[in-house]
Amino acid sequence: MTLAGPRDELALVDLLDRLLAGGVVLTGDITISLANVDLVHISLRALISSVSTLVEP
Amino acid sequence: MSDEVMYLYAVTDADLGDAEIDDMRAVDGAAVHIIAEAPVAAVVSAVDAERFSASALRRNLENLQWLEDVARAHNAVVSDLAHRRPVAPVRLATVFANTENVRALLRTRAQDFVAALDRVRGRREWAVKGFVGLTDPPSAAAGSTDTLSPGRSYLERRRAERDSHTRHIEEASTEADAIHNRLVKLTLANRRYPPQDRRLSGYRDEMVLNAAYLLPAGAEIEFRRVVDEYHEGHLRLELSGPWAPYSFATLEGDQ
Amino acid sequence: MSNGFGRIDTNPDSIGKDLGRLVLTIVELLRQLMERQALRRVEVGDLPEETVENLGLGLLRLEEAMVDLREYFGLQPEDLNIDLGPLGSLLPRSDSDAR
Repeated sequence: MTLAGPRDELALVDLLDRLLAGGVVLTGDITISLANVDLVHISLRALISSVSTLVEP
Repeated sequence: MSDEVMYLYAVTDADLGDAEIDDMRAVDGAAVHIIAEAPVAAVVSAVDAERFSASALRRNLENLQWLEDVARAHNAVVSDLAHRRPVAPVRLATVFANTENVRALLRTRAQDFVAALDRVRGRREWAVKGFVGLTDPPSAAAGSTDTLSPGRSYLERRRAERDSHTRHIEEASTEADAIHNRLVKLTLANRRYPPQDRRLSGYRDEMVLNAAYLLPAGAEIEFRRVVDEYHEGHLRLELSGPWAPYSFATLEGDQ
Repeated sequence: MSNGFGRIDTNPDSIGKDLGRLVLTIVELLRQLMERQALRRVEVGDLPEETVENLGLGLLRLEEAMVDLREYFGLQPEDLNIDLGPLGSLLPRSDSDAR
């Protein structure tokens, strides 16, 4: 069994599990559907775009 | 100020004092404020209206760096509070136009918030993840491929590895359900999340359990002992916590 | 900042390795997909033995080539950390994802 480290090392995926799928859901004045956030898509795009900026002259 | 809106982090009891939030820094490094409407209080900070408008949010939520910054800032506030008092953490990016709208929310849903806070009072969330553990090398296949041609032999080896992998996942999943059911008996509530995608989590092993449990303070030692002493064939457990009770923050009257 | 998301480090000296990693990740995805397809076809049992042998040899050579390429770029198998989920989300389609 391993225990998570100090608070500042919390894994982002664990945070996003909770913050995107957990917590009280309120009708704020700005309503965005967080269910549509495709994390894998974003992550891979970040990966690809960071490489493409490297190769730009 | 019309160029700022209110970012809501959590709701707690109305006895929250300014001294408790003085040192906190929230999204964009801003100060944290209390909006009290007895018996509850909201914890908020002012954020830039343009960056938190509907269209900006849709764009920003697609930016992993932005998402990470906001998630960590949000959790820092929630987590700090949860150490010392019951909180109902709010979902990411819940924004109100002004403080009056936050007050209205607190007034209309006061009893629901009180119920949510009572549900977590004196309790903490712990998370258990389960992974497919040690996999045996496919020994049976090796001998039987001696008489096969090289191409066939390769295919047989790969098929055996795949079948073995599938079996291990099935066995680990069965064990995960069993330990989950055991842990449920020690807890007040539980919630299972989908296994995290490996491309995001960076874990090499396949995840078959991703669960959160709500524990009364007195049950934590036993719970941790059960997880710590777990040694089955195909499942490896990982404990994390305590977390603010995100996974159990729902209001009565919401489905 | 490191977070296990495969964030690429923008050091000019590592550009070759970064590109290699990206390319090999995609090649590895295709290799796994092809292998899975081949195993399925072979299991169906309607392929002549010679075809099966050639399929197996081709995949064997491909696996060996991937090992060599990984070693050339100094990458571990975990660096090409992928899972055969929905194929569409990994390979950009020409009609979308063009931002």
